[in-house]
Amino acid sequence: MCWGCPVVDFALSDEQQLLRDTARALFTKECPPSLVRDAFYDVTDAGPAAARAFHDTRLREWAALGDGPLVDLALFLEESGAVLAPGPLWVSAAWALPLLRAAGHTEADAVADGSLTATVAVADATGRWEPGDHDECWFVPHLGEVDRVVFLRSGPSVLVVDAAEVVGSPIEALDRTRPLARVAVPAGSTSPVDPAAVADATDRATVGLAAELVGVGRWLQEATLAYVAERVQFDKPVGSFQGLQWKLVDASLHQERASAAVAYAAMCVDADDVDRASAVHVAKAAAGGSARHWARTGLQAHGGIGYTWEHDLHLRLRRAYGGDHLLGDADWHRDRLAALLLD
Amino acid sequence: MKLSWGPEEEAFRAEIAAFLDEHTPEQLRDGRDWIGEEADEVPQWARDWQALLFDAGWMIPAYPPELGGRNATPLQTLVYQEELAARGVPRSVHFGGYGIVGPSLLEFGDEAQRALAPAAIRGDTVWCVGMSEPDAGSDLGSLATRAELDGDSFVVNGQKVWTSYAEWAERCFLYVRTNPSAPKHQGISVLILDMDTPGVEVRPLRHITGNAEFAEVFLVDAVVPRSNLVGELDEGWRITMGSLAHERGGLWLEGVGYAQRALDGLVELARDRGLAGDPVVRRRLGELHEEVRSIRALGYKGFASFAQGSSAPEHSYMKLAASELRQRLNEFGMDLQGAYATVTDPTLAAQGGRFQAAWQMSLAATIGGGTSEIQRNIVANRVLGLPRG
Ligand SMILES: Cc1cc2nc3c(=O)[nH]c(=O)nc-3n(C[C@H](O)[C@H](O)[C@H](O)COP(=O)(O)OP(=O)(O)OC[C@H]3O[C@@H](n4cnc5c(N)ncnc54)[C@H](O)[C@@H]3O)c2cc1C
Repeated sequence: MCWGCPVVDFALSDEQQLLRDTARALFTKECPPSLVRDAFYDVTDAGPAAARAFHDTRLREWAALGDGPLVDLALFLEESGAVLAPGPLWVSAAWALPLLRAAGHTEADAVADGSLTATVAVADATGRWEPGDHDECWFVPHLGEVDRVVFLRSGPSVLVVDAAEVVGSPIEALDRTRPLARVAVPAGSTSPVDPAAVADATDRATVGLAAELVGVGRWLQEATLAYVAERVQFDKPVGSFQGLQWKLVDASLHQERASAAVAYAAMCVDADDVDRASAVHVAKAAAGGSARHWARTGLQAHGGIGYTWEHDLHLRLRRAYGGDHLLGDADWHRDRLAALLLD
Repeated sequence: MKLSWGPEEEAFRAEIAAFLDEHTPEQLRDGRDWIGEEADEVPQWARDWQALLFDAGWMIPAYPPELGGRNATPLQTLVYQEELAARGVPRSVHFGGYGIVGPSLLEFGDEAQRALAPAAIRGDTVWCVGMSEPDAGSDLGSLATRAELDGDSFVVNGQKVWTSYAEWAERCFLYVRTNPSAPKHQGISVLILDMDTPGVEVRPLRHITGNAEFAEVFLVDAVVPRSNLVGELDEGWRITMGSLAHERGGLWLEGVGYAQRALDGLVELARDRGLAGDPVVRRRLGELHEEVRSIRALGYKGFASFAQGSSAPEHSYMKLAASELRQRLNEFGMDLQGAYATVTDPTLAAQGGRFQAAWQMSLAATIGGGTSEIQRNIVANRVLGLPRG
């Protein structure tokens, strides 16, 4: 292996620090847990509209990060993932935008400035995330919330369609904050795209999703550590019991690995480093694994309260599992790593 | 965040790489994990190697030349540690002298004691470190080896155990209790003990590997001059913490380099055994690769905070993660060999029996230097801030 290649300076620049602080402030202030709950879980009359309004007025402008360094986009998505921010920002900025750029599509600028949003349709009914000739695409995220659908087809090539013109039906799934749909592929002529550019877009989408999952894991870790410090049984905070502490330590190690792996992968993509392919798979495997690890451990450490609908924990549990299985679960990425090692 | 080395670091890297390629002794090449030879003393080639590193300023690069260094910056030290780790080359076959004793003497010793540091670091004097006792392992603060001040000398009675290199050592960095009535962490002192002092007896203990690398050390009325007290009387506990602070930023690299080389060996082994297409084997290799690389990323992340002078909680995780991973890697290397998994004959086992030998040694990695359980307690309390039990 190449020790000499990457250096890795994980320190945030002042601008990155500011970006993170800004994102945190935005989400803390304007995306409270009730916003997500009222829109997707205990749906109130005003809930869905409020969530849509939050996306439209506060998140659209951030789509521009999709054209910039992946490191910055990942920083922002970690924060939006932590609060389960509503809307299609991830798929639009991290996946559709680079595909539209690759295709030289005229609407790329509109997606970048947030005036349009777009999703990506690629998987087939078996859940393979690879371009093909299938006539129905599955697991298309946020279909009902976007203006355009980018069909990624064999070639590779793309077909960009007005979302109002596609016929889709929702797939009932665990994570309601990221609705999934199946969509018939409409007729129309596709335009070829450079395979390397498609691979680049997939890397950005994968690392972006992994960054969200790091945010989900972080929320679960923080909530769990706070709870076990406060919950008393046998006259002691339950967080003082070693049997529980070690589970939390192991989950936190997984989380640390995931967070470092995602930052590293983002740097590798930005630098187009030789380690890039491996780093992206490592990032998604670690982040999906860690979010799931924290979801299980966090629920267990909360006891009965964690199993209630009222507690926000299950919202992250749903996203952790949903996110892991989107764009290849941890085991799928491990198999890709094995291919890099062995084939 | 950025991903590149500057030209200065690259030049530094080229220099150490060339040095290692030219001078590394045969015995330490090819990631051969040196298993202490059955020898009564440090082998001459190992002494020569350590002395050469020292004289060339490559022993502890952050130190000035008279201490075996070249005033390297933290980033250069990291580059240096990367190059050692990539090759799996140890600087010394006895860690205590340069890793613990030399730096502690420099930090806590008086002038005469500081003068002992260069020889400790160069390996001219072989040291052992006497901390653990039969009743004081993880709970080091309960150590009971007693040193009583009698005029100008201490009279020492007690027993140490698991003392690495005690058979080779000319001196011991000895942790003793000087004040039995003080609270346990406040009555400890550190003495420099000449191993040939009357009343000092070393009884070798064999590892499960069969090597006698560590020993029991018995002390019966051993007389140590008062001038051999390091630091203040009863304040030895502070010294347990002091070792190679400036290298802490990259000490994890050794574990990660080790893991990466083991993984490379596993890939080769899977191919040789015709298992490269086996889905279970592939899944497992992918998983191990994920772990090695994400742990490596974590180490670099910690280095970034270290280099900026902030505390790096990442480092608390590194020993725990690397030592446990090391066991899994080696165990898998054995499993891949089927019926040959437990065959230790180097002519029969794959890759010269490397995995079988390394697995046995890796079992010590989660015990020595603070057990995995203690590491988890440290993370729980100091990193996660969980309430103490
Ligand atoms: C190869 C090797 C080389 C060594 N070299 C040296 C040397 O040169 N000098 C030296 O002084 N020492 C040396 N040691 C000793 C080493 O530091 C001790 O073995 C180690 O600190 C553990 O102490 P112990 O063996 O007494 O185990 P114990 O402390 O008795 O532990 C037994 C078990 O109890 C667990 N345990 C203990 N306390 C807790 C707790 N609070 N919570 C949960 N679990 C706990 C431990 O993790 C372990 O699993 C060496 C050890 C090895 C294996």
